[in-house]
Amino acid sequence: MNEVFPRHRLRSVATTVAVALTLTLAAAAGCDNRREPALPSVLDKLRESHIDGQPKIKIGVATTEPLMGELRNGRHTGFDVEIARYIASSLGFEGDQRIEWVPLATEDRIPALQGGTVDLIVSSFSITEERKKLVSFAGPYFVTTQEVMVPKRLRDRIRTIEDLREPGYRICTSGGSTTEAELGKHEVKAYVVKEVGDCVRGIREGRYDAVSSDETILAGFLSQYPTEFEIVDMPFGTSELLGIGVPIGDPALRDLVAFFLQKSYLEGRDGISSPWLTAYNRTLGPWLKADKSQPQPLDVPKLVDFDDKAPGR
Amino acid sequence: MTAPAATAPETAGPAGPLPGGQDPAERRARASQSFWTAVVGVPAVFSVLRLGVEAGGELQTTLLLVANVGTVNLLAGFLTTAAQLLSTGLVAVFALGAVLRVSVERMPPGFRRPLFARWVDITPAWFAAASFLLALVTWPLLYLPLLVPAFVAAFQLSLERLHEQPVPRVLLLCGGFTGYLWLLGPTLLEAGRQRELLAMVLLVVPPVLALFVTGPLPAAVIRPLASVTEAAVLATLVWAALPVISTPVLPLTVTTIEPAPGVSEDVRGHVVTVDDVNVVLLQEHGGVRYVPVGQVRAQVLCPSEDELPRRRLRVRDFHVEDSLLEGLGRRVRPVHRIDAACRTVR
Repeated sequence: MNEVFPRHRLRSVATTVAVALTLTLAAAAGCDNRREPALPSVLDKLRESHIDGQPKIKIGVATTEPLMGELRNGRHTGFDVEIARYIASSLGFEGDQRIEWVPLATEDRIPALQGGTVDLIVSSFSITEERKKLVSFAGPYFVTTQEVMVPKRLRDRIRTIEDLREPGYRICTSGGSTTEAELGKHEVKAYVVKEVGDCVRGIREGRYDAVSSDETILAGFLSQYPTEFEIVDMPFGTSELLGIGVPIGDPALRDLVAFFLQKSYLEGRDGISSPWLTAYNRTLGPWLKADKSQPQPLDVPKLVDFDDKAPGR
Repeated sequence: MTAPAATAPETAGPAGPLPGGQDPAERRARASQSFWTAVVGVPAVFSVLRLGVEAGGELQTTLLLVANVGTVNLLAGFLTTAAQLLSTGLVAVFALGAVLRVSVERMPPGFRRPLFARWVDITPAWFAAASFLLALVTWPLLYLPLLVPAFVAAFQLSLERLHEQPVPRVLLLCGGFTGYLWLLGPTLLEAGRQRELLAMVLLVVPPVLALFVTGPLPAAVIRPLASVTEAAVLATLVWAALPVISTPVLPLTVTTIEPAPGVSEDVRGHVVTVDDVNVVLLQEHGGVRYVPVGQVRAQVLCPSEDELPRRRLRVRDFHVEDSLLEGLGRRVRPVHRIDAACRTVR
């Protein structure tokens, strides 16, 4: 009897504690269900961004770079343009009627962002430490290398960086580009023009002998004149990380763009056809020597969105 | 139609006559009447209140909604949004009532039975089981473990009923917990990485509490626990009912209209009705708008902000804030795309 009584009492105390703890947990669950979410959402960031409430989004693109950004028959086409359309649609600006395309030359990109002429720039914009002091970048969305394109008649004579240094060859590049700086670093004297297209035209007219730029841009011109030019693989040693330029004063917009690039990256990694892959296959894919995949974007914020609950597999 | 109380005879109630000296048959009949009054009345009252809130408190808008929202649609909409709250209330009453009932059975004959214990007396087992089933399919996965101690308490499933021998009993328990932890292992690790302490506690602790929750309670605890929990359950139901009342009755859309050639406008709101002449929109920021059918260019369905998830945790690819029903539904229609118009139009 003496043993039964304490056991019965112990049981009563255990029940009391268990009931009290269950009620406490239920109350905690009830309060948790009503609290504000700890993570910011895509909507929160959109509200913080300067594009909130705008009828159209202004995107700076190139119009003279085949395969990347080109204005053909009144319609913008190219890999950069496709990426820009995906980002605009994700931000709530679906269709070309909600996008104001702003044609930009290479050297005008940073002033356009600083002056508020554009909200975003998707135009073979390489991410560099120097530029990061002036504008923000989301990405990279593409990794490319610097190459040289020569007319077929010179393909056996211009093969190395030393060949480029020879005074007999006239090398051309676009102003304000990372290529201009890279050529300078290798002590290659170059004619600096406004657009890479001007260099290509100059070579065809006999004014220049070679053009140096990103492989993606050169591939675009190669696609236009496949019988006239050849891309020469030169060991410049640096890779160009292309990013989407955003005004430095709008970190919320940078976060949103990085978030949507990451979303596309994750879709591609899981083997689903991603917006990036679709854009690549429709434009650059057939013209590059090696197949590329989307690089992982850097500094991606953790945001919640409505489709987070969808099954992952 | 047979009321639950009428078919809930002695099996659910305590042995012997009910305290209070009333005729049990008469008492059951009255309980049955009250039950069906509540079943019909509560959803009806809630639905009318919801229409009033949806209309923004405007009498004419309320009348417009009353004229255009069908009774069946209204009740179906109410059940969809209120099933979770309803099952929570019932589960709380049955679990607490069963623990209190087994506790007061040891008290002297004159001891007044707590309200929840009396409700459990007159409720048939099938009704309690149906309430738990409703909770099982409508509660978010994160809170489902709380259903384990509640179920064990409501049906008084003591450890002895698992097996009469202690060793097989312990082995069965160990097997059960191992399986449970295997199921939740990846989720718990992820919750640890994300420092979601509450989520970890809610997933792990309730099944352990289920081992001790069946009662009886000490005599000193019964009366305060009964009073406090009755008040708490009532207060919680009122508190939780407010969002249910303010949940929209009609689906949220963004309608693109073209009032003049080349001019387009997006209207965010709920479609009240469509006829040959007009689309009637209840705008999200208030007011009713009659849009000629010929001006409508596009319409998309949008999620509301309340549907945004709070966490990034999954149990075997089911989001922890989804109920079993919602999770299964997402497997039937896995692709969920947010239309661009939903993001920019506010």
